[in-house]
Amino acid sequence: MSKRGRLTAIVLLIAVTLVSAALIRGTEGQALQGEYKIGVLEPLTGALAFEGKRHLEGYEIMRDMINERGGVMGKKLVFVVGDGVDPTAAASEANRLITREGVKIITGTYSSTLCGAASEAASRQNVIYWESSCVDPRYSKRGLKNVFRTEIDGTGFGWYNVEFIAKHLAPRFNLKPNQIKIAFLSEDSSYGQGVTEAARERAKKDFGMQEVAMEYYAFASTNDFSPIVAKLKQVNPDVVHHIARGNDAVLFWRQSREQNFMFKALVHAGATGYGSPDFGKALGSEGNGPFVLAEPSVGLRLEAFRPEAQKLERDFTEAVKKRAGTEPYASHRLAGAGLWLLKLVLDQAKTDELEKFRSAVMSMDLPVGSMLNGWGVKFAENGQNANERVQHYMLQWQNGQMVTVWPEEFSTLRAKWMPLPAWDQRK
Amino acid sequence: MGAVPQLIVSTVLLGGIYALIAVGLTLIFGIMRVVNFAHGEFLMLGMYLAFWSFTLWGLDPYVILLVAVPLFFAIGLLTYALVMRGVVKASHNVQIFTTVGLSTALQNAALVAWTGDFRFVRPWHSGVVIRIGEAAFNLSQVVAFLVAVLFTAALVAFMKWTRAGRIMRATAQDVEAATLMGIDTDRVYRLAWSIGLVCVGIAGVLMSPLYSVYPTAGLQFVLLAYVVVVLGGLGDMIGALLGSLIVAGVEVLGSYYLGSAWKEVIYFVLFIAVLVFRPAGLFGQRGSETLGA
Repeated sequence: MSKRGRLTAIVLLIAVTLVSAALIRGTEGQALQGEYKIGVLEPLTGALAFEGKRHLEGYEIMRDMINERGGVMGKKLVFVVGDGVDPTAAASEANRLITREGVKIITGTYSSTLCGAASEAASRQNVIYWESSCVDPRYSKRGLKNVFRTEIDGTGFGWYNVEFIAKHLAPRFNLKPNQIKIAFLSEDSSYGQGVTEAARERAKKDFGMQEVAMEYYAFASTNDFSPIVAKLKQVNPDVVHHIARGNDAVLFWRQSREQNFMFKALVHAGATGYGSPDFGKALGSEGNGPFVLAEPSVGLRLEAFRPEAQKLERDFTEAVKKRAGTEPYASHRLAGAGLWLLKLVLDQAKTDELEKFRSAVMSMDLPVGSMLNGWGVKFAENGQNANERVQHYMLQWQNGQMVTVWPEEFSTLRAKWMPLPAWDQRK
Repeated sequence: MGAVPQLIVSTVLLGGIYALIAVGLTLIFGIMRVVNFAHGEFLMLGMYLAFWSFTLWGLDPYVILLVAVPLFFAIGLLTYALVMRGVVKASHNVQIFTTVGLSTALQNAALVAWTGDFRFVRPWHSGVVIRIGEAAFNLSQVVAFLVAVLFTAALVAFMKWTRAGRIMRATAQDVEAATLMGIDTDRVYRLAWSIGLVCVGIAGVLMSPLYSVYPTAGLQFVLLAYVVVVLGGLGDMIGALLGSLIVAGVEVLGSYYLGSAWKEVIYFVLFIAVLVFRPAGLFGQRGSETLGA
């Protein structure tokens, strides 16, 4: 080859290398073209702030992961944040995000007390409302076309809880489901009532369980559970189905121990009350035993997920550990999974125009095990992700930690203390 | 019948907790005629004082009581000088807005400084349960009740038999006559406010082993404290103690016999009935509600 020919070959080689590198970069980490802004609405002050902030942290961690994976619709995802401290503030902050910040999608809002008001405000302006955590069943029963929910609803919580009691606990108590004496206790918000009523209905209709007590209480003004404990002691339930909101879980558990109230199991649902890490912080190993229906935690059997979901799960867990210094809490997971699903929809719809966005949502069909938390996706016309696709897990407090114990095909650890032994023997 | 001993014990111990909060509120109410809407937030500060002292230095809340008394007295002097002094003679509306503002500011300052997380104080006595027959007592609750009784007795003695107490009562009865007699009413109000805060600060410290500590922790107790103060009679310490026992009794027995959802209906009906038919409170002197108005 002549000197000139050799030079041409080298130039060509360099050119090919550069183009190939650019092509590879293009498919892996495409440079993001501009920004895409969504509104994030959470209670960041006031009584709900402790969970609202954790939710926001989950969103931010997932946002950074999304931006490392090509953003949304090829753009960098950015947030404008609103503080929805109560329903009135949630609605006015939703309006502000829409009119002043110009967002076309709002996500949030942690609480069942907030999502109704905020989503109605968004609906009036035809803005997409993408709920990732509130479970009030009424949310998706209003015929609103702009409203979607990635998380299970309260009826799903009740359904799973009773399924667990009938199929996992009853055989271990040597009882048939219709021999189980169940006491329902719940705080009286729309969340507590939604879950409890769904559980009551299924317990009675599907399994014929014996309801021995039903008690609602006001979460914000109950400072003493001793009369309720005394009353429940008289009816001697096998299972206490308690939907708690915060401090009430600690107080009920502590006063049950003080009065030596013996039951075989306590079952709760959701990230509040027994589902909050604060329960473990308050009681340590004295809090051993309660079951919590929630997103997965330690003991999750990742191999049961599809390969792409396994990677997402691992990366998210690492990112939460790095930033928050803990295993992901339910609040992190709800926000993370909701935002990831929003990315999938936006990437498919390629627009935030409501009709096209809605068709993209409705066309998604992913089996259980496809996403973060092992969730699948199949939305109904009312904007609710199907309860049976939003795989939920039964966690149990074991020595200051919530561990995943059911369904057993998804867990490496196993439930203990069935039935619960004496209070001083739960070690 | 098996539950009756437990219900009695629960009433007495819960009543003690309400009394701890209500005594300070009734003092401020009685002497200054100010409805302190920030009372719950000072309770919250007392709880945080116990939490941080326990977490950082391992100090038992009962040791912290010794620090809480002078500290909350100083906080009382400071907040009086900065906030209350300017509004103590203003209309009730101005006072309400000011104390509501103070309440919101303190709540949010706590939220910024310490986050909204629930915190817990778990000294050795918080898990000690004493059982006598069918009834169970929590040691921390028994101590809170005993301190409530002691504190109420001490305050009654202070108001009745000391010169400062007499001056405070004179100011409460007729502020103009007291001024004409040469009483420095500003000093009286400052003292009443500061003693009121010491009471609620101590309540916060004593309640910390029993309840979670968080920025809005005071809210769930303070509404009941208003009911107690109205039942007991404005400015009446013994009335506050008895009012606390009545509210606790209604709460415990109402929850047991009728259901928890009814308890608030019952004591708010009682609250309204007292305001309508006996505005001076069940134990207050007739006409005392208008004194100094």
